[in-house]
Amino acid sequence: MRSRKIPLVIAAAAGVSLLLASCGGGGEDDGATTGTLDFYTNKAAWEPDFDELNAQSESDAEITLNTTGYSDADQYDAFIRQSFRTDKSPGLFTWQTGPSLAELVEEDLIAETTDIWTKAVDSGWVSPDLRDSYTFDGKQYCVPMNIAYWVMYYNKNIFEEQGLEEPTTWAELDAIAAQLTEEGITPYYQTSTLFTFPWFQQLVAGTDPELYNGLATGEVKYTDPRIVEIMETWRDQAEAGWFSDAGSTVDPAVGLKQGDYAMINFGSFFNGSLDGAGMVSGEDYDMFVIPAVNPELEQTPVAVESGPLCVAENSSQKTLGLTYSEWWMSPEAQTAWSEARGDVAFNPQATVADPMLEELGTTVTGGDYQLYDRYYEATPTPILTVALEQFGAFIANPGDPMPYLETIQAEADDYWADQE
Amino acid sequence: MTSDKTPTRRFPKERDPYRWSARGFIAPSVLVVAVLLYLPLLWTTFISFTEYNGLGDPEWIGVENYVEMFDDPEFLGSVLNTLLWVVGTLIVPVGIGLGVALLTWNLAGGTWLRLPFLIPYALSGIGVGVIWSFILGGGGALDQALAAFGIADTPRWLVDAPLNTVVMILATAWQGVGVNALLFTIGLQSIPKEPLEAARMDGATGLRLFRSVLWPMLRPLTAVVVGLSIVASLKTFDIVQGMTKGGPGRDSETLALTMYKETFVNSEYGLGSAVAVFLTIVTLVASILYLRQQLSSKHGV
Repeated sequence: MRSRKIPLVIAAAAGVSLLLASCGGGGEDDGATTGTLDFYTNKAAWEPDFDELNAQSESDAEITLNTTGYSDADQYDAFIRQSFRTDKSPGLFTWQTGPSLAELVEEDLIAETTDIWTKAVDSGWVSPDLRDSYTFDGKQYCVPMNIAYWVMYYNKNIFEEQGLEEPTTWAELDAIAAQLTEEGITPYYQTSTLFTFPWFQQLVAGTDPELYNGLATGEVKYTDPRIVEIMETWRDQAEAGWFSDAGSTVDPAVGLKQGDYAMINFGSFFNGSLDGAGMVSGEDYDMFVIPAVNPELEQTPVAVESGPLCVAENSSQKTLGLTYSEWWMSPEAQTAWSEARGDVAFNPQATVADPMLEELGTTVTGGDYQLYDRYYEATPTPILTVALEQFGAFIANPGDPMPYLETIQAEADDYWADQE
Repeated sequence: MTSDKTPTRRFPKERDPYRWSARGFIAPSVLVVAVLLYLPLLWTTFISFTEYNGLGDPEWIGVENYVEMFDDPEFLGSVLNTLLWVVGTLIVPVGIGLGVALLTWNLAGGTWLRLPFLIPYALSGIGVGVIWSFILGGGGALDQALAAFGIADTPRWLVDAPLNTVVMILATAWQGVGVNALLFTIGLQSIPKEPLEAARMDGATGLRLFRSVLWPMLRPLTAVVVGLSIVASLKTFDIVQGMTKGGPGRDSETLALTMYKETFVNSEYGLGSAVAVFLTIVTLVASILYLRQQLSSKHGV
């Protein structure tokens, strides 16, 4: 009995799996240009902001977003990846620029937005620089949802008590850190989980933007002597006591408020968190663009992070999603969004509510600054995962950087070998 | 099957009239089991032999994922951490649980002594992780409490390995002692009175009573508790994810975390599935070997 049944069960299981597999594919585009658009995002905390924007989009474009927010980024990634295999692929969803977006574009899963970009750039709604992050093989995909510049936030009270000014050179920044340490105040925030990369990014790009880009493309090895030297600088700073306790679980915004550290290197979305912690923009805290490590650089490199809004190629709401994307780029939409979210706007014609962010936006788009992709988006995911872990381990136990760099490079070697 | 052959063979020519309808009735359950239990297992095994990023189609690469897995020195670290979890949860939550049960089972009001241990069991593992990371984080509640006693130079609980794994096992114990104590108490209360009285008449008390009477008679229950503990510790995930996320670096990563990271963070579904298959085999082999050895009749009292 037994031996005859097992193949039967396997055959049944295989039959069911074939049946399930054949369900995949995706729906037909229904061609609607108005109505309710299903929108998925991993920024669950922003859901009220998207809802707030509905009033504007209803009157401008007759489209209402039905937002589903995920709060776990990994779970969200897996959900989106799987959704392309079903007829429920999203009409609009948020994603990451860099290799993760390239992966989707390569599989022809994303609707092209070249026309939307051409119109937006021609109307002066977006800087052509930003277009590069959304261009693959000369065509554009997705539109920018948000943009953030990575700057240094500081506790204004501490700076005033110590008689400190915003630094304009790297040497001045170092002097500030040294003075604060002497007074028993920890200069910088750091953590050994997830956000372990900002200081590395700052040191490498600020020393040599070419070197930084080389890491992202695989032309420069993590074990390169120039990288080792930068890591040694980082270690020396750690040994001098310039960084906060890596194991602390205090919320970074609260830490800055209570003076656990004087400065924190974060994206310009951090205003929202600091306001939430009860600090007043311009009064309790302020920000400055971090000077380049290498004073000979003509332009100061500034890390920029931008998250895309994408439309799935096989979604039944493809036309609706693209119509919304087009509206999204307009100054009306971006003014309303900036007000709802309290963030920097990528559209220079939009009005930004927070004067500090308004000023930052105009400063960094000027000629003295050079925007580069944040490490998190610039680095291929498998290398990024290992690098974040290794930087975390290095932050926890600053020492000889070589073993950490070798571990990252081993993963990078594997990755680039696979790409050939 | 052999025992019920005789009655059905009484009329060898006559077919069982209910044969097809019986199959019809069991078909839905067989299908549900096949789709929900066997199919995912087969699918995961298949994916583990492919390169797959969750998009497009899996590409067959043979055992390459397994080679890559065993080649990774950090994977060995994961295996060792997982072993530490197995041993640690046997010694601490199971051991203390047994202790609590032994000390309270025949006391008047023993229930009230055991009850507080059960309260943390109502929490989810992630919740326990978050709470304990506030206690054990740098400058957290424990450090502050120690500072009040003048101990300033505290260890970095969650940063240094293997200390971080050890303190996480203790956090698990905080949650798990109550349930183990409860199970052992049930076991102790189900021991018949006669042999106990006989042993007491013979003058056995304390350790001697425990070693020669209670422990052997508890064995069936111990086997289940230890078996469950081994399986639970092999798949440890939530507490670690809640407290250190496997870090710093991969110092406190367990196999379940490695599986999760490869699959859902790196989108290397093939490699993640290979870790899953490895973990399944280890868990199966461990439970079969253990239960077979423990539940065999030679240990009967």
